[in-house]
Amino acid sequence: MNQLIFDIAAWLDDTAWSTAIHESYYLYNWIEATHVLTLMLSLGILFLIDMRMLGWALPNVSATRLAERLNTPMLIGFVVMFITGILLFYAVPVRSSQSLWFRIKMVLLVVCAINAYLFHRRMTQSMSTWENAPRAPSELRKGALISLGFWTVIVLCGRFIAYDWYDCEYPQPDMVRALAGCIDGQTRF
Amino acid sequence: MNSATTRQSPIGPYPRAAIATGLLVLLLAFSFSGMRAEVWTALLPFFEWMETTWFGYVGKTWGGAFATIQAGHLVSLGVLGGAVLFSDGRLLGLYSSLPLRDVIDGSHQVFKWALAVVVFTGVFMVCGVAVKVYYLPVFWYKMLTLTVGVLFAFYVRKPLVDRDLSGVSPLVIKLTAIASIMVWFTVAATGRWIGFS
Repeated sequence: MNQLIFDIAAWLDDTAWSTAIHESYYLYNWIEATHVLTLMLSLGILFLIDMRMLGWALPNVSATRLAERLNTPMLIGFVVMFITGILLFYAVPVRSSQSLWFRIKMVLLVVCAINAYLFHRRMTQSMSTWENAPRAPSELRKGALISLGFWTVIVLCGRFIAYDWYDCEYPQPDMVRALAGCIDGQTRF
Repeated sequence: MNSATTRQSPIGPYPRAAIATGLLVLLLAFSFSGMRAEVWTALLPFFEWMETTWFGYVGKTWGGAFATIQAGHLVSLGVLGGAVLFSDGRLLGLYSSLPLRDVIDGSHQVFKWALAVVVFTGVFMVCGVAVKVYYLPVFWYKMLTLTVGVLFAFYVRKPLVDRDLSGVSPLVIKLTAIASIMVWFTVAATGRWIGFS
């Protein structure tokens, strides 16, 4: 599996567009800045909804109506983050695919997507009973807490990717090598 | 008639906005004057001292701690941006089914907390690389935009939206919302550019 991931990443790395993005100071930084600044639209609004569900913010605004109205701008934010995230990966594919933090981030993104789906389904099923209550029911509050916690860790992992503590080009413990997908003699920056 | 309700401020009906505007003009005048170089030179020992503080020591010694605080800075900036976009979006006429007053007041509470965390984590980050950022023009642009943003948020936007908005021109409300979004976007963008410099 790790060999397959490496081969695909190495193939992407050999394409001209990957090199062009990676070597362009302005293009790479514009993409990264857009990725980070879109946090305000995607994560900022998601956290507002989560905090409302937990009763920490906007107690007088209907929780379900808030979630419904903010869904579209939040999704636009996540689409922009997703596109710019793919471009950032495409610019540095081998190192990213062999980054422990990148792999943790990808797993957590899947967990957050499942959590968001379950959260939305539960909210739609139960909205008529608590819509104007200061706090959402316990099940939804758990979902909001998971969302807040995991997204914070995703941002943390995103920051950690920039550091080389567990990079495959340096000697690492076997467990780290296994989790990061290091293959002997096969790494690139 | 109650005299307190009829008393006029000597600088007009919008004293906080007038003071903030005066401060902004002074700030801009200072930024383009020769005094700026003198003050900048005098600030170097302060920035050198910042690196010797406990924050500076932790920031320089443990990359993990620095990156964790950076993540906290990003998350709180995201929340601040979310509060600004939500509140100003409502002022611009979006999500009109949500109660205007509750959205504005509730968002402002979130904004204040997020701003406090942004400033605290920002100070920690500066301490780790104080002398480096001292020599970066973009760091000073960020400080300038942050000052403008805080003055605008608390002394221009807040007094305006605290009024009965039915008596305020819709154009003024919309211009204020657009200005607010632009100011905080500029704060975030200049902050991001520090990392590239």
